[in-house]
Order: sequence, then structure tokens, then C-alpha cells
Amino acid sequence: MLKKGDLIILGFAIILIAASFIGVSIYKSSGENARKIAVIIKDNQEIKRIDIDAVSEPMEITVLGEYNDIVLVEKGRIRFKEADCPDKVCVNTGWLTEKGDMAVCLPNKTMIKIEGQSDDVDIVTY
Amino acid sequence: MGIVYLIGDYMTKKFAVIILSIVLCIGVLFTSCSYYSSNSYETQEFLMGTVVLQRIYHKNAEMIAKEVNGRIAEIESVMTINKPGGEVNLLNDAAGEEYVNLGKDTLYVLEKARQYSEISNGAFDLTIGPLVESWGVFSNNPKVPSESEIDELLKLVNYKDINIDLENSTAMLAKKGQIVDLGGIAKGFAADEVIEIYKKHGVESAMISLGGNILTLGGKPDGSPWTIGIRNPRGKDGSYIGIISVKDKAVVSSGDYERFFEKDGVRYHHILDPKTGYPADTGLIGTTIVSDISIDADALSTATFVLGLEEGMKLIESLEGIEAVFVTEDKKIYVTDGLKETFIFRDESKEFEYVEKR
Repeated sequence: MLKKGDLIILGFAIILIAASFIGVSIYKSSGENARKIAVIIKDNQEIKRIDIDAVSEPMEITVLGEYNDIVLVEKGRIRFKEADCPDKVCVNTGWLTEKGDMAVCLPNKTMIKIEGQSDDVDIVTY
Repeated sequence: MGIVYLIGDYMTKKFAVIILSIVLCIGVLFTSCSYYSSNSYETQEFLMGTVVLQRIYHKNAEMIAKEVNGRIAEIESVMTINKPGGEVNLLNDAAGEEYVNLGKDTLYVLEKARQYSEISNGAFDLTIGPLVESWGVFSNNPKVPSESEIDELLKLVNYKDINIDLENSTAMLAKKGQIVDLGGIAKGFAADEVIEIYKKHGVESAMISLGGNILTLGGKPDGSPWTIGIRNPRGKDGSYIGIISVKDKAVVSSGDYERFFEKDGVRYHHILDPKTGYPADTGLIGTTIVSDISIDADALSTATFVLGLEEGMKLIESLEGIEAVFVTEDKKIYVTDGLKETFIFRDESKEFEYVEKR
């Protein structure tokens, strides 16, 4: 038979375990971990780091080089808006919105990436 | 006595429950954190004309990644024909004239390339260089060569004209003007070399992608396999038509979407058919090879793309331990028998059809 004391302890234990689960899930989905940080890399150097969730007004960033790229940032998303490279693969990649998303302008050695890993697949071939 | 014993027992139980719950809580926290562990290091560099992405799980990951990038740059400098210097340039410059001394890496890749040229009956041909140069597919000014130019250049494309002397570490091209191009295989070799560096440092879990040529070491740290999306040849970068799960495997795709240009409304892609001199037009838009060794997958993805579905399938089925995914122009997906259990058809574009039985 469970005594009153047992029930209290049992209740306490359940609350403690539940709290730690909830705590972890909140930790994962908030603060540093939920932030989407986009990086712009040119010639293997990081030239800009942006918290795209904190962007209120759209902004454009011009990356100069052998070719020129214009990167557009809006709240929660980032893309190559324009490029004067021959293939336009970077522009056609469209918006990046999820962690692990990446767009590359090979001719100008420029890439944008949202840091972190995709929940979906680890990587896609191309 | 009895009462004291009962109280003692009661207290022990109470402590046991409290300690147990604390342990459980710590357990939850620990496993959650280690999943998002800072041990995962990811980096990307522009190398070999593409993006090299590494994900390494190891305490010295950053240092290892640097060593890897150095090794890839070294391989590139030796095997490239897009920049001056390097051994393959020496070999090409001496075509029709003399044997050239080559290092161990170049000889190995050259011999592998020759073997795959032979196995694929010239669908993959390491002497494709003159055509690649004329089309300029990898340059910033691609063009469509005239028919007479292509006819002339086709005479220079023949893998049987490469003479490799492994004993003396030398090689020679038979005719002047011939050009060896290892572009279709060097990235595969580089990936294999990278895995050796990972192993040397005791890395058990890592993944490298050289422009989408993927090679995995082990599985993920939690023991599960890597999930790899097979690129949708008609979708944008990052979209896929199916997923395969692998450990210790190379996964390499080739397709008409990688590099292409348009001229007078016609789309020309970069995978040239060594028999016609024009971009391969055999009904495939994407091929993916899964193998243990990356260099094999790299050569075979190009070879099967040029061969087409029937011939390509036949070639893969004749080889031990090699599997493939083929995507045709009419948007049908075919996989080899060995992949049927692990291939997951998932096409967000809803344009493709998975043909399980042929």
C-alpha cells in the first residue's frame, strides 16, 4: 500500500522529471538554439554574420569581387537577390529559411548559409 | 525492532526515489545536450572549383579540418588543368613527345581513370580534355563549337592513347594535342584521401562533401546512419527526390543541372559524350552511385550518365558492391536491387514517379 508520504515523494519525482523534459525542450526551442544565424562567406572568409530573426526592415548587402552579388535579408530569411555571374545558380536557389540551408555563387566564391543542421536530411547530393 | 526496520526501509525507499529521479533528470539533460554537442564541427571552403563541406565529430575537429583542406588543395594543384603548374599539365604538354615522371597520386588516379574508361567502353574517357576545352563548359565563356571543330577534336579523344608505365612512374599521351582531364574523378580520389586523414586522427564519425560528392565515415555519433537526399535534377539546390541511409559509403551524383549554359534557346550541359562530342543525350537527367570507395562512384556516375538507363544499369549490375539511382528525362526514378530496401522515395515537387519494378 502506498502511504501519503510515498505519494508525495512519487509526485515530487514525477514533477522533477517532467520539469527537466520541459526545461530541455524550452532550451532547445528558445534563446541561442532557436536563433537563425546567417553567415556570408567570401573567398573562405566570413564577412558578415546576421541574426535573421532579429531583422525588422529588409536590407541588402553587396558582395564585390570578380562578379558582384547582392544578398537580400528579410525577417527570418535570406537569399541571393541579384548576381552578374554567368550561371545565376545562386539566385535560382531562392530563399534560405531553415538551419543548414545554403546557397553558393561559385564564380564569385561567395556563399550564404544558415548555421546549424537540418532536421530533415543530413545533406543533399548535387 | 520491527518498527525501526520499517522506518529504515521507508527512508531508504524515499532516498532511492529521490536519487533515482535526480539521476533521470540529469540523464535527460545530458542526452539532450550531447545530441547538440559542440563536438560537431562544420566548415566549408572553396576548393577544387567547388564547395568542400566537412562535418566532423572529434575534439580536434578544427585542426583536422584544416589538414584536410590542405590535402585537398595539394591534390588540386597536382591534378588541375584549369590553373598552370601541376603534373597533369606536364603530361598534356608533352603529349605525342615524351614520357613524363608522375607522382604516386597522379599515377593512381590516372590508372583508375584508364580502367573506368575501359570498363565503360569509353563512355567515361579520361582524354576528353580537348572537347571540354573547346566547349569551355567550366570557363566563364562557354560556346558551342562548330561541327567541323568537334569532328577534328573527336580524333584526339581515345583512352587507349594513354600509356601508363607504373614501374617507372611515368606516362605519355600518344598524340600531340591530346589532353587528359581528371575532373570527373579527382574529387572522388580526394574524398578517399580525406577519409584516411580522419581515420589517422581517430575520428569515428564524419562526413565530407566535395561539391555534392559525399563520403561518410561511420554513422552518426548516436550510431544511426547518415541520411542523404538525392538531388532533384529539376529542383533548386537542396531539393531532393528520395533519401538513402548509409554508413561508410560514398554517394556521388552527376546530372545535367550541375553546369550548363543556354545558346539560341538550347540548353547545353557539361557532361560531354566522348563518342559524339556533344553533351550526353541518352535520356537521363541524373545518376547517383553508392559505393565503398569514392573514386569508383565519381567515375561511374559520369559513365552511367553517358551510357543511359539500360546500358548504365547493366554496367552497375555487373559490378560488385555498387548501387545506383537513375532519374530519366520523363521524370521516372529507377534504383538497383541492392538499394530497393533502403531507398525512400520522397518527392516534394510531386513531379517524379518511382518505378519499383522494371
